[in-house]
Amino acid sequence: MLREGGRAAVSETALRQPTAAVAQPRVWRGPGRRSVYARRRGRSGLAFVTPFMILFTLFMIVPLVYAVYESLYTTKLIGGTRFSGFANYSTVLQSGPFWGGVIRVVIFGGIQIPVMLAIAFFFATIFDLGVAKWGRFFRAVYFVPFAVPIVVSALMWGFLFDPAYGPFNRLMNSIGFHNFNWLSSGLMVPSIIIIAIWEWTGYTTVIMYTALKSVPRDLVEAAILDDTPLWRIILRIKLPMVRPAIILLIFINTIGAMQLFVEPNILNNYQAGVITNTWTPVINIYSTAISNGEYQLGAAMAVVLAIIIIAISVASLAFRNRRRSFS
Amino acid sequence: MLSKKRITQLASTGLAGAATAALVAACGGGAPAASSSKSAGASPAPSILAGANCSSSATHLTFWAWVPGMSRAVTEFNATHKNICVTLEDPGAGSGEYVPLDNALKAGSGAPDVAEVEFDLLPSYEIQHQLVNLVPYGANKFKSDFASWAWSQVSQGSGVYAMPSDFGPMGFYYDQATLAKYNITPPTTWAQFAQDAAKLHSQNPKAYLIDFAANDAQWLMDMMAQAGAWPFEYHGGSNLTINWTGPAQQKFASFWQPLISSHEVATVTDLSTQENTDLDSGLIAASIYSAWAPSYFAPNVKQSMGQWRAAPLPQWTAGASVGADWGGSTYPVFSQSKHPAQAAEFSEWLCATDQSWNIVKTPPSSLFPTYLPTLQSTAFKSQTYPISGSSQPNQVFSAGALTIPQTPWPPFMTQLLNQGGTTFGAVMTGKQTLAQAFATFQQQEVSYAKAQGFNVTT
Repeated sequence: MLREGGRAAVSETALRQPTAAVAQPRVWRGPGRRSVYARRRGRSGLAFVTPFMILFTLFMIVPLVYAVYESLYTTKLIGGTRFSGFANYSTVLQSGPFWGGVIRVVIFGGIQIPVMLAIAFFFATIFDLGVAKWGRFFRAVYFVPFAVPIVVSALMWGFLFDPAYGPFNRLMNSIGFHNFNWLSSGLMVPSIIIIAIWEWTGYTTVIMYTALKSVPRDLVEAAILDDTPLWRIILRIKLPMVRPAIILLIFINTIGAMQLFVEPNILNNYQAGVITNTWTPVINIYSTAISNGEYQLGAAMAVVLAIIIIAISVASLAFRNRRRSFS
Repeated sequence: MLSKKRITQLASTGLAGAATAALVAACGGGAPAASSSKSAGASPAPSILAGANCSSSATHLTFWAWVPGMSRAVTEFNATHKNICVTLEDPGAGSGEYVPLDNALKAGSGAPDVAEVEFDLLPSYEIQHQLVNLVPYGANKFKSDFASWAWSQVSQGSGVYAMPSDFGPMGFYYDQATLAKYNITPPTTWAQFAQDAAKLHSQNPKAYLIDFAANDAQWLMDMMAQAGAWPFEYHGGSNLTINWTGPAQQKFASFWQPLISSHEVATVTDLSTQENTDLDSGLIAASIYSAWAPSYFAPNVKQSMGQWRAAPLPQWTAGASVGADWGGSTYPVFSQSKHPAQAAEFSEWLCATDQSWNIVKTPPSSLFPTYLPTLQSTAFKSQTYPISGSSQPNQVFSAGALTIPQTPWPPFMTQLLNQGGTTFGAVMTGKQTLAQAFATFQQQEVSYAKAQGFNVTT
């Protein structure tokens, strides 16, 4: 009994939009001219995307272009605003603290994402097998942390990790680890990893579960008829079939990790002196632009961070396509 | 008053005080202005608190402030000044207000006519020529009504760029039951203080005389001012002196470092949940706090209600009486205002009349006046607070209000507080000594000031 019921949830294809082979309605195009249907379809298509494109241009493209424009200037309290070319970029590229922050979030993501995916796959498989009683109830329960605003969950974990009064530190003390501090310099990253896993595992589980549900039933049944052991069905049949969902999750979570901001920002209130104003790239951008009033330098940092994120995205898409072409 | 200094600091570090603010708010009651948290990016829509029911011919002014209960004063002003209609908006404490204010000033429109600006940030607006000189609007006639420190803070050259409102003369604020338990009386000199800190900690290794929150650069600099170690010289324009490594600063660092190294003082973030809890439970016996302590700290007190007393700051020279200030606000008129005369009239009324002070000195505003007629009135000085039993803490703070050394703030305090949080945070975790952090900070501030185009003297 591999499936809980016949309900196919959201199709896996929904999760792999860009390259998904969603069947396109075929339209016959006469030599040298488009059909009336095609032209009408083109017009209505345009009408549908126009509102989005207007908003996308206004709130994404224009600010992006403006940020790039701003990043080429420097404003001084004494002396005003001057064109400074790539001086801001040179400052960012040579800034040790900036790259230190980038490395920190890469380490953070490099641990948090695989661990979270493994846990989520484990739970999703259990739900998919239908062996767990109350499966729907637990799916809902695991999803709850995702519905808690990040600020609230960071505050809550801050209390749990609190160096003086937090139950977790008391627990460590009681089992012999004296002066243990979850929020010390050495443990801040692991503690935030725990928080992020707590926040995102439920959501990830739901996506994986949905992907597992869409694995064709006949494939699994054929394997069962072949006396394939369960673990092989899970690891050799189901896991490869949900690879597109996993790659998408890696992709989304990597972007999220690169933009780490709220959790360290809040935890700073519980432990002085660990979270610096350059601890993550986004904290650095915020403190440079807003607190230091160096908006253009902040814009240059933001552009550099965006390029790093785009590079990671392109690399992961390329990886994904390469894998696809082999399969 | 109250949260303002803290709010600015946390907010300006970008490592916002959401937690503290949310906690204070959650602890309920007449919690101070901190209730408006400004976690990054999300500033709530400004709430309009007063300004309805004006006559249609009145001149309309917009006023931004986050002091709780300020709407009472605005309503009183509107009722007694029929030709002016002030609308109060509360965009949120600290950066909740400063960020939209800065944006409006940069954009060239949308700034209020009058807004609450803390003392330390005033030079940051002056240097950008965003403030109206109030001298042509008669500000100078109020000079003698104000504590001299406050008036000099709002003055630059012959100009007056804001009206001063409240401030926070500092004192040694202590739990008398806890001090008595360790057989300590409030120290009158810092030398005595150091002995008491050691004495207390040796009796109870979990307890401390005070918390030395170095990562709060504003508090740290206020302490340095009292020690004659103020690290800046600035009087407008492009010349700036920065000195974190002179003999006075080193003397200050070498006094505190042994106390920090031997853990005879606590090192937790000030005004945090942990500090409040430790103060309330007696693990931290006292605080170098300010005049807004009784109203700010009170909502956090459960066990130690009625036990808190104020004593003058310990002195560097026995028998001297040198004070210090921590926080406080001013009310400048912005040069974007189309009605500077009316705006000045409002600011002057708000800061320099008995009518206004009779309102804003009371809860929930609980402002501590720079305005001498109120500051020196018997009624104000003899006021009691539930947190302080039958004692009269304002007697101490009012006396301290007249002995505050000058603190010429550099015109980039948000940068300073932001960087200070990180650089002095390393002192609290033991990564750097205070003297090392002073040297690091000297280099950081000089480099920032030079990048901003200042002629820097060290």
